Amino acid sequence: MSHLNVVAALPLIIVAAAGVLAMGTGLFDSQRVRRYAPTGVAVAGIVAAFVAIVVLWGDREEAFGGSLRTDRFSLLLSAIFLAAALLVIALGWHESAAVDRRGEFAGLIMVAVAGMMLVASAGDLITLFLGIETLSMSLYVLCALEVWRERSLESGLKYLITGAVGSAVLLYGLALLFGATGALDFATIGQQLELTGLTADPLVIAAMALIVVGLAFKASAAPFHMWTPDVYEGAPTTVTAFMSTATKAAALAAFLRIFQGVLPELAADWQAAIAAIAVASIVIGNIAALVQTNMKRLLAYSSVAHAGYLLIGVAAGGIRGAEAVAYYLIAYLAMTMTAFAVVIIREREVENGEQLEALAGYGRARPVLGIAMTLAMLSLAGFPPLAGFVGKFLLFGSAVEAGMTWLALVGAAGSVVSLGYYLRVLGVLWLGGREDAQPARMLAVPGPVLAATATAALSIILLALLATPLIDISRGAAEALLAP
Amino acid sequence: MSGVPLVFYLGVSAAMFLLGLLGVMTRRNPLLLLLAVELMLNGANIALVGFSRHWDTTDGQIFALVVMVVAAAEVVIGLGLVVAVFRQRLQLNVDDLARLRG
Repeated sequence: MSHLNVVAALPLIIVAAAGVLAMGTGLFDSQRVRRYAPTGVAVAGIVAAFVAIVVLWGDREEAFGGSLRTDRFSLLLSAIFLAAALLVIALGWHESAAVDRRGEFAGLIMVAVAGMMLVASAGDLITLFLGIETLSMSLYVLCALEVWRERSLESGLKYLITGAVGSAVLLYGLALLFGATGALDFATIGQQLELTGLTADPLVIAAMALIVVGLAFKASAAPFHMWTPDVYEGAPTTVTAFMSTATKAAALAAFLRIFQGVLPELAADWQAAIAAIAVASIVIGNIAALVQTNMKRLLAYSSVAHAGYLLIGVAAGGIRGAEAVAYYLIAYLAMTMTAFAVVIIREREVENGEQLEALAGYGRARPVLGIAMTLAMLSLAGFPPLAGFVGKFLLFGSAVEAGMTWLALVGAAGSVVSLGYYLRVLGVLWLGGREDAQPARMLAVPGPVLAATATAALSIILLALLATPLIDISRGAAEALLAP
Repeated sequence: MSGVPLVFYLGVSAAMFLLGLLGVMTRRNPLLLLLAVELMLNGANIALVGFSRHWDTTDGQIFALVVMVVAAAEVVIGLGLVVAVFRQRLQLNVDDLARLRG
């Protein structure tokens, strides 16, 4: 217990080192080094970390005296973060922010991933808080990376203020939890709550409420989502894509780690609170998305709604709930990344390319991208047999099994409402614009961007076809999470 | 345990946290917002240190030290962003001044 066991922390160390190195190579005099080295270092780091994850895959190991838990859950989540980082770095190939500041872009993405891995593998409260802050702070800077654009700066500043408030609320909750139990590590806190029957203690209840609110800020769940549309719209689109996939996965990992891993004794209380937040997110996200004309804002509200669907799995609890969340996070990564990829490609071709009307007739002119977007929208809406459907089926199924059928019904109703805006995008994409005219100004898509888009789009189908092995892996992760 | 009872620590800590929250909700100047957030974080720090004494362990104090580092980093990024925004606005103002030149 008291030894370092650095090997178990290897994926984290590799990613953090690659981040620092990538940022450093971005400072070289030679333009050639500046252009290729950061991306190369980051990609090499991601590949090495993937290898380390595969090698370490197995039973729980503890590093740094128990502060870091490397188990199937943390490794699976780490793989999700790394996949998101790889896709985003590929998509950022020709983005202006990424070209001028490749070192910072690649470096900060890697540091953010290191923070997320810290969250997913946290073994005590300090590690959890440190991980959340590491990822948040990298994202504040990434949002403001296009310093010549006032919208980008505003987005960074707005995210910083709301993010810091969320962190402070979370920290106060963690402090109260420490006060109630006298311990910082998850294992002792769990034992204390189990032995002493502190579950009705006002201190513990207050701690739980504050932690729910703080993490809801990070997961952009309603009613703590106010910052989401503005920040998502202002930030560079590659960063938005990273935020809406990887950051959400990290916040959900924190939810699962704390509530299912540490506070199962209090399940009755937090289940009600999280279910309420899930319902609010589904209702507000889906209804607000209906009236958006900007693709980035539309996807922002869609991500609020999806935070709600994911929280259904957390509220349902147990192995089934955690397994459903893990699978849906993978599916959500593929479909959201595909949607953002098409927006990114269009945005570089025309001014105001993030507006919905910029996509008018785009599907007819570029069938490959049109089909990718179609897959993403149908999967987000939950059409069978795509990955989104399998994920929603698991999530709602876990709620029914936990005796929360009403929650599953809210989720299903939300999915029906969501058809209103997902299908509107498809209508504009295939039927919009004049029949005979081409959409304005189309440029060749650089190789890495096209490869990332195609990979993400194909994954939407593959994840559904390979659902059985993937659900097995997710179940292994859920079991590792719930193991004492 | 002798000295100041835990309740007083918690009272000060809760008051600071709530004042910070109030500040975030009412102020509109980014610098004051950053200050208010600092107040919230330090409120939590006092609670951590108070509980640390109550349980007679140093764990809470270590946490508080980590939080201080985090808070400092947050302020650095916040000030950096404020300066960047200010520079953008300043450029506009300089243009305005050029127009007034006799």
